Amino acid sequence: MNRREVIKNVALMLGGTFSASSLMAMNHWEQSTSPNKAGAVFILTDIQQKMVAEIAEIIIPKTETPGAKDVGVPAFIEMMLKDCYKEPDQESFMEGLASLEKVKFLSLNSDERKGVLKFLEQETKKMKSKSTPFWRLIKELTLLGYFTSEAGLKASFQYVQIPGKLELIKLKPNQKSYAY
Amino acid sequence: MNLNIKANKNNTFDAIVVGSGMSGGFAAKELTERGLKVLMIERGHEIKHVEDYDTAMKEPWEFEHRGKTTNISAEERWANSRFPGLGSEEVVNHLTNDKENPYIEKRAFDWIRAYHTGGKSMHWGRQSYRWGKHDFEANAKEGIGIDWPIRYEDLEPWYTHVEKFVGISGQKEGLEVLPDGHFLPAMPLFAPEVHFKNKMMERFNRPVTVGRVANLTQPQDIHTALGRASCQYRSKCQRGCPYGAYYSSLSGSIPAAMRTNRLSILHDSIVSEIIYDEQKKRATGVRIINQNNMQTEEYFAKIIFLNAGSINTAALMLNSKSNRFQNGFGNDSDQVGRNLMDHQLGSGASATVDGFEDDYVFGQRPNAMYIPRFRNWGDDKQTSYLRGFGYQGGASREGWERGISADGFGDDFKQNLTKPGPWNIRIGGFGEILPDPNNRIYLDPNKKDKWGIPMIVTDAAFVENDWAMRKDIVASAVEMLETAGFKNVTSYDRPTHMGLGIHDMGTARMGRDPKTSVLNAFNQVHDCKNVFVTDGAAMTSASCVNPSITYMALTARAADFAVKSLKKKEL
Repeated sequence: MNRREVIKNVALMLGGTFSASSLMAMNHWEQSTSPNKAGAVFILTDIQQKMVAEIAEIIIPKTETPGAKDVGVPAFIEMMLKDCYKEPDQESFMEGLASLEKVKFLSLNSDERKGVLKFLEQETKKMKSKSTPFWRLIKELTLLGYFTSEAGLKASFQYVQIPGKLELIKLKPNQKSYAY
Repeated sequence: MNLNIKANKNNTFDAIVVGSGMSGGFAAKELTERGLKVLMIERGHEIKHVEDYDTAMKEPWEFEHRGKTTNISAEERWANSRFPGLGSEEVVNHLTNDKENPYIEKRAFDWIRAYHTGGKSMHWGRQSYRWGKHDFEANAKEGIGIDWPIRYEDLEPWYTHVEKFVGISGQKEGLEVLPDGHFLPAMPLFAPEVHFKNKMMERFNRPVTVGRVANLTQPQDIHTALGRASCQYRSKCQRGCPYGAYYSSLSGSIPAAMRTNRLSILHDSIVSEIIYDEQKKRATGVRIINQNNMQTEEYFAKIIFLNAGSINTAALMLNSKSNRFQNGFGNDSDQVGRNLMDHQLGSGASATVDGFEDDYVFGQRPNAMYIPRFRNWGDDKQTSYLRGFGYQGGASREGWERGISADGFGDDFKQNLTKPGPWNIRIGGFGEILPDPNNRIYLDPNKKDKWGIPMIVTDAAFVENDWAMRKDIVASAVEMLETAGFKNVTSYDRPTHMGLGIHDMGTARMGRDPKTSVLNAFNQVHDCKNVFVTDGAAMTSASCVNPSITYMALTARAADFAVKSLKKKEL
């Protein structure tokens, strides 16, 4: 699938119609990428690292609280894939990045990038594969890396190190979750 | 010869306890408190209570992989990482490296081990339920396996004894199916669980109670005397509790035995053999191999308690051959290693709960709700299987993890995940497995481990009764959650092997007849009465409730009997 097709499909999707053509495009998307079967140590190139960082930051952007990049999520994702994920998932991750490289993700503008990821999110739901899809991997690792980092956790939740008691309470409006 | 005489002098005790886990710890406590000089032998390394709980106070971000299992740990601990969470860096260093301690799976068996002081008592789920009368009678009534040589009444005072010492939080319910015990104040059920409890009583006449759990909700003098304090509701028990709030050998029985000044503990020492004296017709001691320097040594005692964990206890007996016991120690019946049981785990259902939006909880409850057995009980009669199951589970509000499968990303998505999500609820079954002589462990005739001890082969699997029950565990879970009015009810049935319940038992069963059983009514080896087996190996059937307090009660009862017999010079 080329860059124009992706944008077209993204546009279609954002327009509310989810057509057969986008499905077909997704098939191409999957076929167009060749898995990295080297079996070598999992290492990302500079461009791939940059893409991971940009995607993580789109998932958890900096707001009045830190974003994914601020708390080191991009490096965390790479480390986790290397240490805790098996080859099929690592390959799936590399395939996802290869696809995004093909559509020159990094040269898209912010809206286009979000559009591509929305498209990817919808398509991921239809994928039937033994390995974990790229979008799922990057999303779960971004959330894990962010919400369990010291800055991310403390900014997001009410951190209670030692509760000391167990109490049924009523939630106050806008109350944050407790984290332990 | 001279060497032996010298060794005899320094290496002689009143009693030897093999193993320091749940039942071994209790044996040491009971025997030392009755005046015996005891040597406890632990095959693994030493762990000191509190100070060696190296992950206990770690912050979430201090775990490099944030609780996930690394590929290295999954490879080294291939068996124990089959249990969700046990490969995680929170606990992994306190579980056994399977690569260094391999066993052979003729049929796959999830053998979860913790070779260190306290054994699996450091990691147990702490759920503590008495058996009911029916559990001791079922085998005889149904013609399954063999009859228990004891009844509930024999164990009842020992349950009380154990419960007082251990400290169990629970709610008295007055149910025959789940006898009440000596409880500390109960933990609360959460709002959706109370709703569920009421619905189950109303629609099915099925009771639901809060879990009975070995965490101190209100420590008594017997607990504080050992330095144990109240639960802090962190629910990080599996890392080892720095407050000694949950019971383990490390927090309870070993310190209790230590304060008598009559306990010695030997670590890193694998008991390879029971020494049998053909003239005296009794066991005189054990032979050990130091796991680090391979040196062997012999220790002697008047009585020996085997508490190595059911599989290792059976393996030790099988490896202890003599002229008298050519088929393995105490194995005239050929039942040592057989009738391996566990509990079914890994199936049930979950659902989302509408409402209760303003109900929340401060603190983490290291406990669950419990649904006692209702199948083949009272008027219920199942045609496709015998016995029954209980459910453990509970309700909780979803955390940030819900974002992984939810659509979306960006500012609002991020903001939304900082608030408690909807409630959901999950219940999972613990099913009784029947004794089957073909479910067994044995020693490989050729292969040996690095200490020269024959390797253990597991050869066990679920049978028809188990599969039929499992189907019902799933179907009944769905029915109950739907009846309670919960939404998106989803069943689960993970492919598992026997062993995953981490309740392996039955491999040296108690019975009335030496021809069909290994132990008598006081856990003595039929044909060598100064050896007692009081870990899970002794179990003649499995019930569907968690077994630890039953092991401890059997141990305390046997220890009391052993000391009385010694005093009467009957041993």
